This record gives sequence, structure tokens and C-alpha cells, in this order.
Amino acid sequence: MNEARHSKHWWLTVVGLVPVILAATLLESGGTQPPARIPSEVAWTDETLALANSGDPMRGLILSRRCERCHGAEGFSSTPAIPNLAAIDKLTMWKQLQDFRSGKRKSALMEPIAAVLTLRQSADLAAYYALVPNTPDPLDSRSFPERISNPSMARIAVPLITLGDGQRGIPPCQACHGPVGYVKGAPSLATQNGLYILNQLNALSGWSRANDINIRMRSIAGQLTLEEKQALSDYYGSGYAYQPPAE
Amino acid sequence: MPRSKLGFLVAILVLACVFLGIRYYEVDLPLYRMITGRNVLDPALLHLEGEFVESNLGSAQESDGSVTVRMIAQQYVFVPRCIMVPAGVPVRIRLTSADAVHKLNITAVGSTLKAVPGAVTEARRIFTTVGDFAMPCQEFCGPGHYTRRSELKVVPKDQFPTLAPDQRKDCVERSTTF
Repeated sequence: MNEARHSKHWWLTVVGLVPVILAATLLESGGTQPPARIPSEVAWTDETLALANSGDPMRGLILSRRCERCHGAEGFSSTPAIPNLAAIDKLTMWKQLQDFRSGKRKSALMEPIAAVLTLRQSADLAAYYALVPNTPDPLDSRSFPERISNPSMARIAVPLITLGDGQRGIPPCQACHGPVGYVKGAPSLATQNGLYILNQLNALSGWSRANDINIRMRSIAGQLTLEEKQALSDYYGSGYAYQPPAE
Repeated sequence: MPRSKLGFLVAILVLACVFLGIRYYEVDLPLYRMITGRNVLDPALLHLEGEFVESNLGSAQESDGSVTVRMIAQQYVFVPRCIMVPAGVPVRIRLTSADAVHKLNITAVGSTLKAVPGAVTEARRIFTTVGDFAMPCQEFCGPGHYTRRSELKVVPKDQFPTLAPDQRKDCVERSTTF
């Protein structure tokens, strides 16, 4: 008897649940929102990843003639404030070019240069520079490695790069910038110019460069002291973090 | 089926329920949100659309006096890395992840909150003690996991509206305001 009644009116339970679900859905209001601040138009969706990885290095080689004057014929710039592009990560290169194009990353020099590139050309350049070797060679005209300006600063830089600082919430540099781990859009810093790294750390901590997705690098750079920024850029800029590829 | 086998099965089921109840009590993923799709968002698009765009992160005062905190957990930092909340007011925490599974340990109330990519984890807490508390990550998320630490600043209720002039409040120190 009891069982029969249950099976007869089971649908009442379902009907009763519908207004509850509707009410709960309506109550979930998002609240008032200020106008959205978009750090970068680039999002690492599958389409974007496919596009950024689809470049042709041979076409990039021809296009790279435009970059040689500042970034060096072999991807090593002779001016320390200009980044080295040799062996730069494809996604990094592609994202920065897109951010210069959309004006999300400010640079009086790079914005007009990137503005004339198509999506395809950006991918070609990224594919080419990812293949340029960053192995230091004394016979080439490479400014790498520079000498470290104050070797005692390595005592500050090495713990930050390898361990970070748990008290202040600074993750180790090598967890995202290699060689321990990489995240999308984070370049390897092993052969990057020191002054360029220092400028970018200062720009990120002061939010004058704000094109990092989800305030990641701005949060971290904001925790670094001036001395630590100088030590990190000196250490990376002098090539101590470079590890030659395995034979 | 013999009675002993049935008893064994029931015992296993009860144990499984107890385990799930203990292990996943902090994940607030109600069924209706999964069914209606309201809770599903693309972790790659957090910075472009929805409630987790960077200008909407931090504490926000709602019209009914309660406070909503929105946070993103990602490798290897929580943003905003410092949260300011008033004491004695119901606080709704909405947390999502941009890449892996993370867990926010709210030491001020001794509870944890799991951040799952693609879903919003929500919790309601009331903070009673005024002070600074650490909010480390409690779920291994990669080589930078051990240094992940954000801060929670609980301030008196009457001071909260005056401490930050803009609507979204966090206590991250910046050299220039945006």
C-alpha cells in the first residue's frame, strides 16, 4: 500500500523542486560591477594555442630582418635595455606581439612595429625565434653574457630563484620561467638581458606594464624590494642561470 | 545474496558516504548550478569576461551590508594577494582557479576552500577576530606551491568603508594606483 502511494506521487517531488531551483538561481545575483579592466586580449584557448604554434620558421626568417637592427641578427641585442629574442618561447613572443598590437602593452617603439604584423606573421616570427640557438658563442657578435655588476648580489638572487620567499608569498622564479617548470606565456630568462629584466620588474610592480593575465606577475613583482630586483636582473643578465643543452 | 555479503556492502557504502562527506564538505557545488550551467566558466577566459575580471576582484560591499570576496587561485599566487574584510559581517567568498586545483586555507576561521578550474567555489564565513592572518595554499599545485601565501586583513566593521576609497577593496601595496 505504502509503496504504491510512493510510486504514484513521485513526480510531486520533482515538481516541488523546480521553484526551489529557480529561486536559488535568481538569488545568485552577481552584484554591481565596475567597468571591466582587461589586461590582455589574448586568452590561452585551444584556438589561440593552435594559431600561435602554427608559424612557419622560414617565413619568420625573412620577416626577422625587420627586428635585426635592435634585437640583433642572432637574436642577441647589443643594447641591454632591449630583450634578447634567441630561443624565446613561442607563446611569449606571440602574446607580447598581440599586446603591442592592441595597445595593452605600451611601447612607443614596438606598438607601431607590431601594428603592421598580421596574426600569421606574428606566429611566423615566434616560430623562427624559438629555433634561434641561445648557446653562447665567443665567435658571434653576442652581448651575452654580461658581467655581473656586483657578484655579492648573487647571495640574494639565488634563494629567490630556487626557493622563493614563503613569508612574503614570492614563488621561486624557476617554477614558471624554467628550468624546473613553465607556465603558458612565461619566457625562459636564462639568456635575457639584465637591464631589460630590471625595467620590466619595475614596470610590473608599478603597474605601468599591466598586460599579465590575472595580475600574476604584477603581484609577485610588487613584493620584491629594489635590491632584490637589481640582484635578480644582474644574476640572469650575467648568464649564470643558463644551462647548456644535454649532449 | 547472503546476509553477511549484504552487510559488507552496506558498510562499504556507509564508509564511502562518510569519507565523501568529510573530504568534500568544503566544495560548494550545488547540483542546480551544475544542471543550469551557471557555475561552469572557462578558466582561460577569466580575465576577459564574467565576474572574475581583474577590476572585480577583492572585497565588494553588497546592498544588504554583506561583503563578497572574489579571488582567483593560480600557479603560484592567489590574486588579490591581500584581502580586506570587516569583522562580524557575513562574508561570501567566491573562489575559482585558472589552471590546477588549489586549496585556500583560511586560518582565521580554521577552514579550507577548494579552487577548481571551471567552477566557482562559494563559502559564507563570519570573521570575528580583528588582525592579519595568513592564507596559504594547502593543495600541492606544482613546484612553486610551497611559497604560496596570501594575506587576510580583518578590520573593524566601522573602519571598513573608510579604509579604501574605491569600491573593490584589497590591501595590496602598489607604488602607483591604477
